Amino acid sequence: MVDIQKDVFWKAGVITVVVFLLGVGLGYTLELNRISDIRDDYKVIELEWADAKLQSLYYQFLNPESCDAAIRENLRFSDRAYEQGLKLDRYENANQLSSEMEYEKKRYALLKVEFWINSVNLKKMCNADYMNLLYFYSNDPSIPMKSEQDTQSVILKELKNEKGNKLMLIPLPVDMDIATINVIKDTYNITITPTLIIDSNIKLEGVQDLETIKKYII
Amino acid sequence: MEWVVLVYLFFVLITIYLYTLFLILFFNNRDKLFEEKISTNLKSVTICIPAYNEEDTIADTIKAVLASNYPKELLEVIVVNDGSIDRTSEIAKQFPVIVLDKKNEGTKAAAVNYGLKHAKNELFGVVDADSYPEPDALLKVVSFFDDAEVGAATTCVRVKNKEVLLGKLQNIEYTLIAWVRKLLEFINSVYVTPGPLSVYRKKIIDDIGGFDHNILTEDIEIAWGVLRRKWKIKMCLSARAYTTVPETLKGWWKQRLRWDIGGIQTFLKHRDVIGKSNYGMLGVFVSPFFASTFVLSLVGFGVWVYLISTKLTQSVFRWLYSVETHSVVLQVKSFYLTPTVFMVFGSLLLMTYFIYLGYALKTLDKTKVTSGRKSIILIYLFIYLLMYPLVFLQSIYRVLIGKFQW
Repeated sequence: MVDIQKDVFWKAGVITVVVFLLGVGLGYTLELNRISDIRDDYKVIELEWADAKLQSLYYQFLNPESCDAAIRENLRFSDRAYEQGLKLDRYENANQLSSEMEYEKKRYALLKVEFWINSVNLKKMCNADYMNLLYFYSNDPSIPMKSEQDTQSVILKELKNEKGNKLMLIPLPVDMDIATINVIKDTYNITITPTLIIDSNIKLEGVQDLETIKKYII
Repeated sequence: MEWVVLVYLFFVLITIYLYTLFLILFFNNRDKLFEEKISTNLKSVTICIPAYNEEDTIADTIKAVLASNYPKELLEVIVVNDGSIDRTSEIAKQFPVIVLDKKNEGTKAAAVNYGLKHAKNELFGVVDADSYPEPDALLKVVSFFDDAEVGAATTCVRVKNKEVLLGKLQNIEYTLIAWVRKLLEFINSVYVTPGPLSVYRKKIIDDIGGFDHNILTEDIEIAWGVLRRKWKIKMCLSARAYTTVPETLKGWWKQRLRWDIGGIQTFLKHRDVIGKSNYGMLGVFVSPFFASTFVLSLVGFGVWVYLISTKLTQSVFRWLYSVETHSVVLQVKSFYLTPTVFMVFGSLLLMTYFIYLGYALKTLDKTKVTSGRKSIILIYLFIYLLMYPLVFLQSIYRVLIGKFQW
């Protein structure tokens, strides 16, 4: 009875699908680029870490009198790893279509565990005067918890800037289902985040202000 | 993938589809937008002006209708004084029109039906008592009825009082509405025959049983009734009728609440047609389209509220903790622009909307977009449109509690 332009419906449908797929494709490409960027960074950081680890071994076992170079290298790596952690968080928040960033975070978390063990060991072997600060945070926090963690991160960054070579700062996610981190968590009985462990014996739960933490950092 | 991303992508998909549909309709038909054919076989028409306490505007409305260049012998004008307690009836009686006094029943539909009972002509038109059709509007609209399949025809409604900010904003809105309505005509989906001037075949209105006085927007419901019977509804862009729009936020809110509640009522009354092709475009497009615009408005607003409130709550907590720990609240280094799929589609939608709005304003207003107008457009986009879902939320609440009056 009524003559209407029915072809517009499928034409609009085809264009919509094309535009939508292009948009999703562009979004996905951006995410893949970020993942690729992180992987490239990881390759470099992994190499740097292997180098730093070997230096530690060398100085600990073959030339224990010259620990300073190993400590310096470890500290340099600590700073590099911390910056990389911030970049990973930022990229993870921006990636909404793919879940591959989760895997990269796990790889990175394992690297940090290894680094922490090395730091503890190096300190013991070389009788170094830096302090190891383990910062336990949640990877998937509630809004108040995220704000707590953000605040704590800013304070720790400030502390690190102030203390420089006297502090090894190692953030560890507690909820990424990594067996080694779970063991460390159990060892220190970590039940809330943020929690700070200073030199394996001082435990501070909840957000800590700069002055409080400084009391325990020589 | 988070639920908010899925919801957002769904919103994007439907919105892109609707924008694309309208842009295709525009490009396919841009030569026909202002097409008009003046009939040589004009039909007799009764114009009904329902009026309740309209002493300030009734005279100008009657003058505007009487000034129509429509053959006088074919035109009957009925003013239904709907129990006004002011001088409406007295003023109307000073003009050569039929004035019917009736008791107020609380709805415009009842007044229009009263006029319908007394109408003698083949066509029946409605003009709101605060609206002013241009002299050639009636002639152009009635000419559509040469087509035996046309059941109703309507005009391009424009804003009369566009000096105040709210008037300027509504002027943009009415321009877009008129543009979309004309485009919908090409797929026989004009879903409202607004009060400033709409004309119907009287036999169809009689068949429907008149205007439904239980529905707050009788002009939407009657159009659905016409479409349901598979009649065409035409819209003439070059036939203009000016209307007085609310100048206060309170008045605007009240009017939109009525529109939304009436829209929901209409949708619920005709819900049996959804997806059914035997009801023509009402079943396969108008009803889903009508529902989707409401859903999109709510979903878009919901996502926006979720994202903003999450950020805001985080900032508040962050500020509280910062005060507690004497640390700095924000660091310059905290700001990075990392493009996300939200930004990709957000930019795309905004760009498409600008194209859409630009074509509508250029086509209908034919005026240069000045910097002052640009500011109004920005206010329209980023403030005015955000009020739609708020009104809609209240209207849903009113419908749920059964409070249909305002």
